[in-house]
Amino acid sequence: MKFAGFLQKPLALKILFVISIAVIFFISGITYKHLSKLSDSSEEVTRTHEVSLQLERLLSQIRDAETATRGYIITRDSSYLKPYTLAPIRIDAAISIVDHLSKQNDNIPLLRKLIDNKLRIMGKSIELTNTNKTAELRLNLLKGKQTMDSIRFCVASMSELETKILSIRQEKYNNTFSNTPILIYITILIGLILSVVSFVKISRDLNELKKTNNQLSIANESSNMAEMVGNFGSWQWEIEKDHYRFSDNQYRLLGCEPQSFEANFDNLMKYIHPDDLEHVQHVMSRMIQNEKLPSFNYRIIKEDGEIRYFRGIGKLITNKSGDKILLGTTSDITEEYNIMQETEERNRELERSNKELMAFNYVASHDLQEPLRKIQTFISRLNDNEAANLSDTGNDYLKRIIVAADRMRNLIDDLLQFSRSNKTEKNFETTDLNQLLENAKLEVSPTIEEKNAVIISEKLPELNVIPFQIQQLFTNLISNSLKYSKENVAPEIYIKVSETNAADETQLPSSAKDKYYRITFRDNGIGFEQEYAEKIFILFNRLHNKNEYAGTGIGLAICRKIVENHKGYIFAKGEPNIGATFTVYLPLE
Amino acid sequence: MNKEYIHIILADDDEDDRLFFTDAFSELKISTKVSTFNDGVELMNYLNDSESVLPNILFLDLNMPKKNGIECLHEIKSNSRFDDIAIAIYSTSSSEEDIEETFVLGANIYIKKPSDFASLKKILSDVISINWQYHTSGLNKDNFLLRL
Repeated sequence: MKFAGFLQKPLALKILFVISIAVIFFISGITYKHLSKLSDSSEEVTRTHEVSLQLERLLSQIRDAETATRGYIITRDSSYLKPYTLAPIRIDAAISIVDHLSKQNDNIPLLRKLIDNKLRIMGKSIELTNTNKTAELRLNLLKGKQTMDSIRFCVASMSELETKILSIRQEKYNNTFSNTPILIYITILIGLILSVVSFVKISRDLNELKKTNNQLSIANESSNMAEMVGNFGSWQWEIEKDHYRFSDNQYRLLGCEPQSFEANFDNLMKYIHPDDLEHVQHVMSRMIQNEKLPSFNYRIIKEDGEIRYFRGIGKLITNKSGDKILLGTTSDITEEYNIMQETEERNRELERSNKELMAFNYVASHDLQEPLRKIQTFISRLNDNEAANLSDTGNDYLKRIIVAADRMRNLIDDLLQFSRSNKTEKNFETTDLNQLLENAKLEVSPTIEEKNAVIISEKLPELNVIPFQIQQLFTNLISNSLKYSKENVAPEIYIKVSETNAADETQLPSSAKDKYYRITFRDNGIGFEQEYAEKIFILFNRLHNKNEYAGTGIGLAICRKIVENHKGYIFAKGEPNIGATFTVYLPLE
Repeated sequence: MNKEYIHIILADDDEDDRLFFTDAFSELKISTKVSTFNDGVELMNYLNDSESVLPNILFLDLNMPKKNGIECLHEIKSNSRFDDIAIAIYSTSSSEEDIEETFVLGANIYIKKPSDFASLKKILSDVISINWQYHTSGLNKDNFLLRL
């Protein structure tokens, strides 16, 4: 496994390559050495043969000379003597060759001496023939034969020695090189194995490369598609080579066919809106220095003259080869831009109308209240000081004016409260709801005392709320119950609280959060028909004539507003003459 | 407050309100001396005159021409000569912003102008019988607004 892992590395391939080269060098060396030895040895053989040949020739020259001498002795024809006269030169030549080729110099002088002896004996025989000394001749001939035998023996022994040397060398050579074929075989085998391993690795690498290439082309295609769907394009700028590449969609964004013009800086700048050109060039030059910059917006003029809004972002990267490349994407944000413009316009309108509303609030709280307050004060003074001077009708009118003015005051106060519960700033703080309930009870304490009302409440939790609003909610719910109580029956209000899961509450919509506090206000008042349960929360909606029950029809609308501000829900349940139950859901978190 | 009478000043641009105010005090039968000013400039001219007798209690309307109540409050609180004057804001508005701002600026009590004469009398009689030293030391945002 380790080896397989090692093979995955590019270094392995290099090492294998080096080893293969070394093997080839090794084989070459061995072969060279072997071949040169082989050639040495064959030279050796040739030399031995040459030596033997020359020795043979030497012998045959002597024999020729002997034959010539014998021919002359028998015929006394001197023409037979020619081989004899030539013999010394030929023999000398042969001996010097042998001397040159053979290393056994020891035998050469002996041989030379024997041959000189023989030649002298032959010369004496010729001489004895001329003088007809037969007996002496015979003796000389015998001596010649003996010398000849000695020469033969010498030559034979020399030849034999030569053969012997040859065979020793042969054996030595054989000994040295008997291992060579195995060595070469093994080396070639190792070389082969290494080559096979290299081949496997290379082919595996090639496969990997192919796979990677495939993935790359798929990724490329998907990024092309992403660019088309996402309405953006991309570009690359190899800064040092000043080489640009624009994606197909970059061209499309400019309203051109993909790759329809050469990708370079000037061609791209042609499309930038003249007013934004300086800005874009400035940002691009800063990108080269700062590596990364926030996105920047600019306008372009498309091929067909249409002006579009683009957002660009670029990043300087340095690749493995150390080249600096500025990568960038461009997206067409014209639609976003238009929507943003519209939103801004709407926001401005909203702000305007909000300000108008605030101004209205002020008018309502101050300017409307002031004359009303004075009317009421004058009426109160009239009532206190001048009632006795008025007729009964006058007094009746006065009372009606007082009631109408009171009602107007209530309306203004409630309206103000309603618009205040609409306020945008909402200061949530963790508050003890029991304290808020106590404050609420305090607010309506005169009515509680007047009607002998009983309020029984469970312990309420602490909750993150807008305190004054929740207090308002409690006040409104309690005063609502007190207002719609039965005549001559002391009002009773039961306040209960429990934690609940939204899933268990059928009234809650599916969009509700998980957990809520459910706070119920149940009374023993006049109740209402269930069909009006929804209507009572609508602004200015009243179920009763204002002569029967005072009220502006704003209180419960405020309640709903407050509960909505807390992301909660409020529901009403009524039964005529039995009572009403208001259920408030406030989220736990 | 150990003088024979309590010196009271009202700065209010509204003629009717000045009338209610002086009428209420005359009906209250407490020994008071009530002076009224029509706007903030008149008021400050009086107060800044070193010969003027400084009031025990100053009732300050907020919404006045030329110089409004908030500006007057600023000036009064930045002059130590006026440290002994109890300042009661006397306004039609009961908006949180006005109450908050005047409290922070150092007014002593906030009175929302009532809408009947009897209430007005009660409020004014309550206010002048307050022990200001005691009231001021325990003053907080909850008891700043006078409730009846």
